[in-house]
Amino acid sequence: MATTDEPRADSTESKLDQLRELRDEAEHAGTEQAIERQRQQGKLLARERLVELLDPGSFVELDRYVRHREPNFGMLERRPYGDAVVTGYGTIFGRKVFVFSQDFTVFGGSLSEVFAEKICKVMDLALKFGCPVIGINDSGGARIQEGVVSLAGYAEIFWRNVQSSGVIPQISLVMGPCAGGAVYSPAITDFVFMVEGTSYMFITGPDVVKTVTGEEVTFEELGGASTHAAKSGVAHFIAPNEKACLEDARYLLSFLPQNNMDPPPYSEPSDPRDREEPELDTLIPDNANKPYDMHEVIRRIVDDGDFLEVHEHWAENIVCGLARLGGHPVGVIGNQPRSLAGVLDIDSSVKAARFIRFCDAFNIPLVTLVDVPGFLPGTQQEWGGIIRHGAKLLYAYAEATVPKLTVITRKAYGGAYDVMSSKHIRADFNFAWPTAEVAVMGPDGAVNIIFRKELEEADDPEARRAELIEDYRQRFANPYAAAERGYVDEVIEPRRTRPVLIDALETSLTKQEPRPRRKHGNIPL
Amino acid sequence: MAVFSKVLVANRGEIAIRVFRTLRELGIGTVAVYSDADRNSAHVTFADEAHLIGAGLPAESYLNQERVLDAARRAGAQAVHPGYGFLAENADFARACGEQGLVWIGPPPEAIEAMGSKIEARDRMRAAGVPIIPGVTRPVESAEEVRGLGDELGWPIAIKASAGGGGKGLKVVRDPADVERAFESARREGEAYFSDPAVYVERYLEDPRHVEVQVLADAHGNVIHLGERDCTIQRRHQKLVEETPSPAVDNALREQIGAIAVEAARAVGYLSAGTIEGLLSREGEYFFLEMNTRIQVEHTVTEMVTGLDLVREQVLIAAGQPLSVRQEDVHLHGHSIECRINAEDVSSGFLPTPGTITRYREPSGPGVRVDSGVMAGSQISPLYDPMIAKLVVHGVDREHARRRMLRALDEFAIEGVKTLIGFHKALLTHPCFVEGETCHGLVESELLAARAGEFENGRPVGGPEVGAAVVREAVRSVEVDGRRFEVRVLRPEPAFAELGRRRRERSRGGGKAGAGRDAVVSPMQGTVLAVEVAEGDDVEAGQVICIVEAMKMENEVHAHRSGTVAELSVAAGQPVKTGQVICVLTTQ
Repeated sequence: MATTDEPRADSTESKLDQLRELRDEAEHAGTEQAIERQRQQGKLLARERLVELLDPGSFVELDRYVRHREPNFGMLERRPYGDAVVTGYGTIFGRKVFVFSQDFTVFGGSLSEVFAEKICKVMDLALKFGCPVIGINDSGGARIQEGVVSLAGYAEIFWRNVQSSGVIPQISLVMGPCAGGAVYSPAITDFVFMVEGTSYMFITGPDVVKTVTGEEVTFEELGGASTHAAKSGVAHFIAPNEKACLEDARYLLSFLPQNNMDPPPYSEPSDPRDREEPELDTLIPDNANKPYDMHEVIRRIVDDGDFLEVHEHWAENIVCGLARLGGHPVGVIGNQPRSLAGVLDIDSSVKAARFIRFCDAFNIPLVTLVDVPGFLPGTQQEWGGIIRHGAKLLYAYAEATVPKLTVITRKAYGGAYDVMSSKHIRADFNFAWPTAEVAVMGPDGAVNIIFRKELEEADDPEARRAELIEDYRQRFANPYAAAERGYVDEVIEPRRTRPVLIDALETSLTKQEPRPRRKHGNIPL
Repeated sequence: MAVFSKVLVANRGEIAIRVFRTLRELGIGTVAVYSDADRNSAHVTFADEAHLIGAGLPAESYLNQERVLDAARRAGAQAVHPGYGFLAENADFARACGEQGLVWIGPPPEAIEAMGSKIEARDRMRAAGVPIIPGVTRPVESAEEVRGLGDELGWPIAIKASAGGGGKGLKVVRDPADVERAFESARREGEAYFSDPAVYVERYLEDPRHVEVQVLADAHGNVIHLGERDCTIQRRHQKLVEETPSPAVDNALREQIGAIAVEAARAVGYLSAGTIEGLLSREGEYFFLEMNTRIQVEHTVTEMVTGLDLVREQVLIAAGQPLSVRQEDVHLHGHSIECRINAEDVSSGFLPTPGTITRYREPSGPGVRVDSGVMAGSQISPLYDPMIAKLVVHGVDREHARRRMLRALDEFAIEGVKTLIGFHKALLTHPCFVEGETCHGLVESELLAARAGEFENGRPVGGPEVGAAVVREAVRSVEVDGRRFEVRVLRPEPAFAELGRRRRERSRGGGKAGAGRDAVVSPMQGTVLAVEVAEGDDVEAGQVICIVEAMKMENEVHAHRSGTVAELSVAAGQPVKTGQVICVLTTQ
């Protein structure tokens, strides 16, 4: 029988060889020059990022052989397999997630028609199967050669982002440029991660800014990670490098359910449920004007002190983040006395409102720690629309049907008391520390208004004022007036906060609270 | 009829409770004093009545004579027992008590003064014919002078604060090059702790045993000794383990050093309980070191072998009664060992570990005594001594006592803070201790620290290395075929826990604040005593950056590598927290 070294072109072996070759070609679509540049910037390649993000060996790629079909501008001369995005699915801590990772080394990661189609396919699958979607953004923008077809592709993605919102968790990792219309996909998703030094987001770049407004600004200042983490609030999390960013994304996923029909993942806790924290008994300073750190309270209450803070550097006067209580994920919101005395302003209202709506959408119970002196006064706030923005927070709390637990640690004054998960907007359990002051305002202000006349006529107004303030303090600056009416369910020793909250949480996990049928509410956006 | 109606104990913690117990046996009312920081401490509830005397800092409470005397007045106390530490060896306070019509349960102020200045004490002892270590008794003025004396007496030498004690203000110098810093440090500690920077110099004995003799003296001219205590096991001159009898002292030597001690006490007209501390050289020479004019921490082991209650003797002596025993009635039975259970971390150089005790169970059973001042939930404050308890055992001989101690250490359960329990187990099972040797060098060795770690409970089994699965441990009791077992249940922690930990580490590093590897951080919470470098200085690895005082101990913070000092953010007198960045070392 004759044998040949070369397999016949139609043999099974040669077909397998062809597959391997195609696969290899698809995996090495990026130009050498572009890969080198990517490495110099300290950036990982698109596939490397997925390897870091997902459980080892779990990534399954889809649409590896998709190629663009744009005939203009000589584009047909280069039709790399997979185009400029890697898509597929894998697992994080054993749970399925769908992913896409834009590849800057192919056409600068620019978005073509097929690029958009690949992303839309994984988004559709994720929604159908009820799995989170994680998108890694690293793209120069629209593929200009494709014109309106590219714009159509963006819109198809935006539309899917909106359809999936509140159904499956959507997470965006911005690990390179993300400019122009492209920013709106991450903006709609639930959480945006950025990497210091290498990621940028803006609607128009520094050049256009200079032409239009005359402002001179660098990429970093205009739309770098620190800017969006501290100034604009666009980025929820920032990391010093890509590895840390991908790790943080995994960590975030550990708190989230697969979709809005699943409960968030329970994990048997090692931290004792009945752990008391004697130091909480001495945390609140005797002087009501002295600040303390709400992080301290949170860390002492939650499992193992583990707290994943959202928007750590933006609107620091309110603290939001995910933690576990007795093994159940919870969303924690706390006024931060250390920053602006914990007052509510535009940014903090918007920050907390969005976080609360996320938690509510995904069945994550809310724990609110209240120490709020009120809303921030001033023209800047009033003209900036604190009325509209403050209303968002009120709306979000009132709308939420997940278990809502509240602990008033100190001040709960005026309208801000109502807003911060009060009994009246249907919190399930409201606790107060003995240091709580539930009142319309602080003793000084109240006395000045109630006794204005008497003080004007007093022989020694200062002495009388001090006397009246003391009297007011004794009568109203405590939790008992509210507890008398059942607005506060129980006044607890601070040290017992953890066991009390865990018990309340487990009691309320079976909560059912149907709402009237409607298309959707009209949150004051 | 009780000798006093009410006695105030000007102290805190275990010794306050120890004294209350005897007072109660004598039918005497008990009065405690406490600081802000001690509101919830055990000694406060133990007494019949308790009086607040000020803020947490010792200077504002336990060291504040006015406030203590005021509390005694308010309580209507007849006498004051000072315990050890704080005002126990303060002659002014003893005198002030007398002036207020309060009986001072301790030696006369003159005896405290005579023995309080080590220089004066040595002069008087030499005059009385008591053997002294070669050295000078006058204060030395300069590092230069110290160097000269070192050459004359032979290296190594010891520089000591004249008013010092308990290892504070004591520096050993082996190399003339180190004289400068040691001299300054001894003076500074002398000034800080005893308000007296005077120091003196003497020869430093290599590998001596630290042997002390307990004496009792009454107002009727009776002075007796109660045998010796061996306190050779020390770390940085702080005693950790004490025992009696000493493995190196036989009856003849006991008689000899007992006589020296009685002589020394007589020489200063001593009254009450006191201790002659001395060094026993390898050749068997005994040198007077100092006299402690108070009840000592380790008095318990003497009580175990003599059957006497030393605090009771102190109270009765103060009331003018004669000693309850004569020298010929004192018989030593068996062997006793005491282990000090301090809240300290052996693995990081015996650093104090302030915190909350979350679980606490004391050992008991035959021959076991625990003197403690804590319970579950107690705070170990960085303001005070880190001693949690004294564990004392009594056995028929040394080996019996040693085994009994190991059994008791096994029973002792303390969680929430790191303690020396593991260290004591490692030490008492070491051949060096078993043989009754001095164990010098072993106590601070890494070998022992590592063995101590193995004995500790509740540690995660795996290290927190990147990627390694950490195991969480819980102890459950189970019965198998009617036999009870304690089972350690190991459960891998959830995979996300490591990510949370790493994230925390990153944010603790402060990100851009430059903490990372360049920063020199404070290893403990405390107060900066001195800063040894200035902004812009070039430093070598291992050079002292600053000195942080925590729990009354000076701790040097060293440069972890060479570089230039930048962003120096602390100054003398400033408090620092664990992990706080002290400065950054930049490289060119």
